[in-house]
Amino acid sequence: MSRSLHDATRNSFPERAERLTRVESEAAVDVLVTAPLLDRRSWRRWWIGVAVATLLTLVFVGAIAMILGKGIGVLGNNTSIVWGYPIANYVWWIGIGNAGTLISSLLLLTHQRWRAAINRFAEAMTLMAVAIAGLFPILHMGRPEYFYWLAPYPNVMHLWPQWRSALVWDFWAILSYLLFSIVFWYTGLIPDLATLRDRTLGRAGQLFYGALSLGWRNSARHWYAYEKYYKAMAALAVPLVCSVHSIVGLDFAAGMMPGWQEPIFPPYFVVGAMFSGFAMVVVLAALVRWGLKLEALVTMNHFDAMAKLMVMGATIMGLSYAAEWFSGWYSGRHADHSLLAFEFVGHYAPMYWAMLFCNVMACQIFWFRWARRNMAVLIVVAILVNIGMWLERILIVWNTLAHAYLPSMWSLFAPTIWDWAVTLGSLGFFALMYLIFVRVFPAISMHEVKQLVHEEVAA
Amino acid sequence: MSSVKHRSGQDDATGGIAAMNRRQMLKLMSAGALVALPACTPRRKIVPYVDMPERLVPGEPQVYASALPLQGYARGVLVTAMDGRPIKISGNPRHPASLGATDLFGEAEILSLYDPDRARAPRGPSPIDTWDSFLAEWLPRLDGLAKRRGEGLALLSGRLTSPTALRQLEELRRKLPKLRWYAYEPAPEDGDPAVLGPSASALPRLEDADVVITLDADPLGPGPAQLIHARGFARRRVPGAGAPLRLYAAESAWSLTGAKADHRLAAHPRLLRRVARALAARLGAGTAQGDALPPEAARFVDAAVADIERAPGRALVLGGPALPAATRALCHRINRQLGAPVDHRQLAAAGDAPAGFGELLDDLRQRKVSDLVILEANPAYDAAPTAEFAGLLKGVPFSACLALAASETSSLCRWHLPASHPLEEWSDLRAVDGTASIVQPLIGPLYDTRNVHRLLAMLSGEDDGDSRALVRATWSASHGGADFEGWWRQALYLGVVPGTSPAEAGAESAAPPPDGADDVPGGLVAVIRPDPTVFDGRMANNAWLQECPKPISKEVWSNSVGLSPETARRHGLDDGDVVLLETVYGKIEGHVSVDKGAADEVAALTLGYGRQRAGAVGTGLGYNAYGLVAGPGESVVAVARLAKTGRHEKPIILQDSFSPESKQDSILPLMHLTERGKLREEPRKVDINRPSLLPPKDSTDPYQWGMVIDAAACIGCNACVVACQSENNVPVVGPEEAAAGRFMHWLRIDRYELDDNGKTRQGFEPVPCMQCEHAPCEPVCPVEASVHDSEGLNVQVYNRCVGTRFCQANCPYKVRRFNWFGYASGQEYANLGEDPMPARENPDVTVRARGVMEKCTYCVQRISRARRDAEKSDRPIADGEVVTACQSACPTRAITFGNLKDPNAAVSRLRRDPRHFAMLAELGTRPRTTYLAALVNPSPMLDEEEEP
Repeated sequence: MSRSLHDATRNSFPERAERLTRVESEAAVDVLVTAPLLDRRSWRRWWIGVAVATLLTLVFVGAIAMILGKGIGVLGNNTSIVWGYPIANYVWWIGIGNAGTLISSLLLLTHQRWRAAINRFAEAMTLMAVAIAGLFPILHMGRPEYFYWLAPYPNVMHLWPQWRSALVWDFWAILSYLLFSIVFWYTGLIPDLATLRDRTLGRAGQLFYGALSLGWRNSARHWYAYEKYYKAMAALAVPLVCSVHSIVGLDFAAGMMPGWQEPIFPPYFVVGAMFSGFAMVVVLAALVRWGLKLEALVTMNHFDAMAKLMVMGATIMGLSYAAEWFSGWYSGRHADHSLLAFEFVGHYAPMYWAMLFCNVMACQIFWFRWARRNMAVLIVVAILVNIGMWLERILIVWNTLAHAYLPSMWSLFAPTIWDWAVTLGSLGFFALMYLIFVRVFPAISMHEVKQLVHEEVAA
Repeated sequence: MSSVKHRSGQDDATGGIAAMNRRQMLKLMSAGALVALPACTPRRKIVPYVDMPERLVPGEPQVYASALPLQGYARGVLVTAMDGRPIKISGNPRHPASLGATDLFGEAEILSLYDPDRARAPRGPSPIDTWDSFLAEWLPRLDGLAKRRGEGLALLSGRLTSPTALRQLEELRRKLPKLRWYAYEPAPEDGDPAVLGPSASALPRLEDADVVITLDADPLGPGPAQLIHARGFARRRVPGAGAPLRLYAAESAWSLTGAKADHRLAAHPRLLRRVARALAARLGAGTAQGDALPPEAARFVDAAVADIERAPGRALVLGGPALPAATRALCHRINRQLGAPVDHRQLAAAGDAPAGFGELLDDLRQRKVSDLVILEANPAYDAAPTAEFAGLLKGVPFSACLALAASETSSLCRWHLPASHPLEEWSDLRAVDGTASIVQPLIGPLYDTRNVHRLLAMLSGEDDGDSRALVRATWSASHGGADFEGWWRQALYLGVVPGTSPAEAGAESAAPPPDGADDVPGGLVAVIRPDPTVFDGRMANNAWLQECPKPISKEVWSNSVGLSPETARRHGLDDGDVVLLETVYGKIEGHVSVDKGAADEVAALTLGYGRQRAGAVGTGLGYNAYGLVAGPGESVVAVARLAKTGRHEKPIILQDSFSPESKQDSILPLMHLTERGKLREEPRKVDINRPSLLPPKDSTDPYQWGMVIDAAACIGCNACVVACQSENNVPVVGPEEAAAGRFMHWLRIDRYELDDNGKTRQGFEPVPCMQCEHAPCEPVCPVEASVHDSEGLNVQVYNRCVGTRFCQANCPYKVRRFNWFGYASGQEYANLGEDPMPARENPDVTVRARGVMEKCTYCVQRISRARRDAEKSDRPIADGEVVTACQSACPTRAITFGNLKDPNAAVSRLRRDPRHFAMLAELGTRPRTTYLAALVNPSPMLDEEEEP
């Protein structure tokens, strides 16, 4: 997998593409990246963004208040379809959260130098997506106030969680992934925070960035330790990225329901997560580049590389779906056959076909070079992929629970306004956090880009 | 203590009980229980025990025998009281109309007792009224009436079978000879007052019949004789018990009898009448020649006649209310001709028959009524023409209505007198076979209420203080003498008065009334039946009944207009279309439900809905079909207009798919009986204990609980569903939540349209928790709230549950129920959380909080009680000692529960039955709840035909 990624991307940067960036000096990188943070310039676009995001965040907060206050009955779940939007949102956000770490670690380990321009904001995306993802399992619980009962804390009853349950594995997977993402993201920031400390003029800024940069002095000794540490973390990250989404897959596959009980689920969830994560990175890269005027650092070459990864992801998704259909058919079980028929022609069939189009077909346009280098196409396809991946998650929940073993309990799901509020609101909350991130922290990993520029200029 | 005294009924001042909160109420009631028993005993020895505890222990249940009315007839019950609060009703095995079982209405009476909408004090013309102010107005009127010898006084009641009430009426009539008594039952009945006379009863014995042909009759359906007939039917459907009963049903709309029939003919009432005449002609009982029948009906009649001729003296032809009286008389004649197993009885002495509702209307129109007292009837709702009656009622100078809660009628009357619930005061009742029971109270009246006896005493100007004395006066007259006390205690203990069923009177051979050809309207007709869950509407404010799914359609919280697919298509209608249905008498608006079992050109309607003033739960649901007919008890009426309104109303249905697809063998197999009562098919060999990698859960515990449910016996009556709800504090979710696909019933009855070689047959399958040995719900719970106990129960630890719902997601049977809201803990539907409702809850069962998963526990509290009892006397729990709530309610005894470790236990024997199967056995869950296959006993003449 990593090998193929490596090959695919290395070949995508043949010597004729000569340069990844369009910057001539290392100082220029500093100026480009820190300017939005340090200079007094117009933040009109940012404020508009913040206003919209705050509005949606209020919707999110309102929906959460409703869910916590009145009970999860405000959502559209019913007696048969006991899971719904929060679970789909959780899986979706966790999936988004996969790409950042993947870009940072896997591409680092496979020497994909182009990652330098995008890894910082991809990591930030991971962090925020995982944090939001972590909210949903709690929001989905009947008694969210007791979510900590999934942790093995000492208590007078000598009660421990039940280790056979995939939900307990999940609890650990999310928690460890979230903690790891914070540490990885923050330590990656340290050299850049030091740069900001040195460049900022105000006393407050100096104190703020100074404290955060933990005394980084850019010494060779620091760099030596940093490089070793960072590589080691990256090596840890790869299995973690795979485990977190494998375990999300096991949440379903460890059950015994038709459509869930499938060994393909863990790898298929990992690929799906990377796929949707890359799509989200494409959208964010486009926005960050436009908003912070970083066209010189994040170039079409980067988008070209990501589009290639997406077309690979889409193809693997297609194969995974096919494997799912095959094993459903090959099981010979009536329940699986009936479920397959329901997926293709049942009540949710239009959504299922839409999902197949978004996840498998839409990306095939990236076989063409012009499409990989056309921003409009890139954004439209990336958004389609994100919609498709959300449809995939909600359909995994709906189809199986709507059409399980006993026909007497077949049912349909009717989403309520709160389902939508909590879903769209979470996007707003993500946007708000992201906007604050780009306002406070360098969106591009300066020290890595400088290294890249240095090498490129030297060459 | 003064308030306690006041409450136990010695004082007539109105109390402030309405203002009491739950805590005070509970305090008062437990105090009442303690005080009422020992302290009051010197004055009144009222409570012989059925299960005698050594001494009164708080928290120990006490069980008393009593009886509850349905259409005026008694069903014997045993009522469990906990610390003075009645909390559960079950059947009285000694009572002939209960046989130990209950119906859903009986089970639901507990909820009606605690209904917060009950009237708490008299309402009269002034802002504050009391019984004294009622008397202050009534007594001068009584003097005036006495001078006129009662002229102008009218009493209106439902069917009265109470010997005490009849005695009181007789006495009142002696005092006021010109008083008039009118009585009516709103719903059409299978019993035949119109043909046999008002107090004659003809009770078929299904257990003695080899062939039963029902023509719109519904012996297995709801009604006061349901429990008798259901037991008789089930006894004759067990393989190996001789020739099995074969059931033919011809009907216009689904009934439970039709659903269980071996052959069902969906027939327009007009065709039903022709079928009856054809049967009569073929069996030599008809005066007229049968006319030619359509081929399907002709085959039906041929097969039925062939069977009847093979079973002389063991065949029954039952006519229902959709047949005109003359045709029903013809059915009785056929039965006489066949020597059919029917018990004819004369229930009350002739001469005291009341007048009908039509006569009351005439008298009201002629302004002959100056004083109208309505005894627990609701004619402004359920007696057509209701609008005219309401107008006439307003013109009556003095009107009073005794009613449990405010009703359509009570609001039109000058006085609404609050009635006591049958569990609150003494009375007596007769069952359909005439057996009398003493109705003994389980609790003092919760409010300032009176029952019929006390009101009749008041009306005659006597002291009304004591319904017990009134009842005892009735019985001491006939069973007087030195040993009356002993007799009385015995009667209370048994719950029946022995020897009160009148002797079999033999069939009268009155000349059949002329059978005119125009008796049944042609074209589109409405066929009206009592509702299978709300019945005649008297209990419409009972949320358990409203949320109980209709056996066939699985609809809740409303009734619908059932149309056959063909008829719906012809009128361009589909499920949920709201139609306007008009007859010459009235019109309704209701949503269409396309019903494969309805006959063409029939609109299948049910009663019990469309209440305008039922209370917080029952008001404004569905349509009121009473207004469509000429008068009470009518069942068929021509439809003048059926028009689309353009509106759409999504019916609330708790089961969406009825076909088992190709999984019938694993979900609900169907087997065939032979003529000799053997199984036609090979015994089923389903390996429940499939190979597994999981370690066996064989425990050293001496008890391993299991349940076997006989799908052949289940008639889908819902008694178990409501019994479970009552026993286990299962909350009601309300119509909005039900529309969202949520419900809480721990036990549901799945209905399947089973395939029988191309024919469709109805299968009912009660589904409680399967208590799987390899339960898929257990390993997925992250906090171990779903765990297995050493006796094989899959238990749910409510206070550990955090509500991830993975257990229900992973349950192949979907038997777990989630509290999406605090359905029982602060977010109750309508007024169900108001006082005194919490008092009805079973203290042995946790009331579940919001966000918690709950499920069937095999009534673990009953197992636990049995274990404590057994351990006290150091013996093992005997087979049959633990009876689950569903099992105890079941009228057909379809549910068997017991210890699988005991090879001689009934449940172990059934697990060796050739019909035994486990639902979805192929999943390897090893369910502890297993089933016996459904059975049909088709006629060889009809079975061999292929469907076109």
